[in-house]
Amino acid sequence: MTQDISNKSQLPTPPAAALPHGLFIVVPAFNEAPAIGPVLQELRSLCQNIVVVDDGSTDGTPKAAQPHATYLLRHPINCGQGAALQTGIDFALLCGSEYIVTFDADGQHRVEDIAPLLSPILNGEYDIALGSRFLGESVSMPPMRKLVLRLGVLFTRLVNRVNLTDAHNGLRAFSRRAAQRINLRLDRMAHATELIDQVRQSGLPYTEVPVQIRYTPYSLRKGQSTRGAIRIAFQYLMGRVLP
Amino acid sequence: MNLIYAVSLTLSVVHSFAGGGLESAQQSAPSLTPSLFQVFAVVLAAAFFVMSIAAIFRGWATRREGGLWAIVWLAAGLAIASPDLTVHLAGFLGIGRGADLVLYCAVIVMLIGFFMVYARLRRLRRDLTLLSRHVAIRDAAQTTLSDRPTAPQAGTK
Repeated sequence: MTQDISNKSQLPTPPAAALPHGLFIVVPAFNEAPAIGPVLQELRSLCQNIVVVDDGSTDGTPKAAQPHATYLLRHPINCGQGAALQTGIDFALLCGSEYIVTFDADGQHRVEDIAPLLSPILNGEYDIALGSRFLGESVSMPPMRKLVLRLGVLFTRLVNRVNLTDAHNGLRAFSRRAAQRINLRLDRMAHATELIDQVRQSGLPYTEVPVQIRYTPYSLRKGQSTRGAIRIAFQYLMGRVLP
Repeated sequence: MNLIYAVSLTLSVVHSFAGGGLESAQQSAPSLTPSLFQVFAVVLAAAFFVMSIAAIFRGWATRREGGLWAIVWLAAGLAIASPDLTVHLAGFLGIGRGADLVLYCAVIVMLIGFFMVYARLRRLRRDLTLLSRHVAIRDAAQTTLSDRPTAPQAGTK
């Protein structure tokens, strides 16, 4: 599941990191003004189609994103990350994208991980590739965060009956037909679990690819608290009961 | 409407505690000498009962909504006019006092109400999200796609 080496000799165009033309990178962003600029700059050097979905930020995130984003979409009000992702995916599909990668705006993901994440999809082996921080190594993950994430995985395993090592990683890759089958209903962070539901129900092959997460003080502050995780679990269960 | 309902419900509970429970225990004749409160509250309940029915015919409420409110007001009016009614009903159900019956009913109604409000809130937020997403995609399709017909060349790492 690492680099795609087999194609190397056949293709004159260089490295394994070259990303396909039909790739759209979707970046949901809510109040990420301090971090989003450099993240988008890095992404832009790899891919020409960056879809930023500003989720009703109040801190000037759209302004910070504007110079680097190919497409800047704006929710008039804050709707949650699930909604922002869905907006970005819908728009990318509208633009005729063949591959979609979702990437967090807070700088916790590494752009180097995109190519290895995509390669199982480019090979045609899988339709969905989910980044996993537990297959890879995370830089300075606090123990409490680790415990909460592990519990999240356990929750996913029990409720979704899917065996994944990391259920709540924002770095994911989809083929077009996989993206077409994603329809996130849950607004807030509970969408991660919902997405896995839909991945499972789609019947399309999925895999996990090790990625690294950079835990910076900024991304940690923005991330989920332990209490938030409990709320997410409750929200998700309510979402399965109520229409 | 909800506030008025809550107030009246509270009043009827208080009344059942103060009047219904004690009076019936003392075997007094409640319906012959209605208290000022009873007159006031029954008139109020009757007025709201009529309004609930009228709301259905004027199209302000669905038949189900209006009917439900009418039943609530009717029950409130009856319980206030003759507190013995709740005592008998409570005895029939195996609850000690009429006031307790009213209290239990109030709690159940409120819990159901909370749940319905919660469900409606969820639906509302869902609709709002769909609207926001629609607006975002429409705006981007209108402006961004025409502004940037050619995106910069794809780079490599």
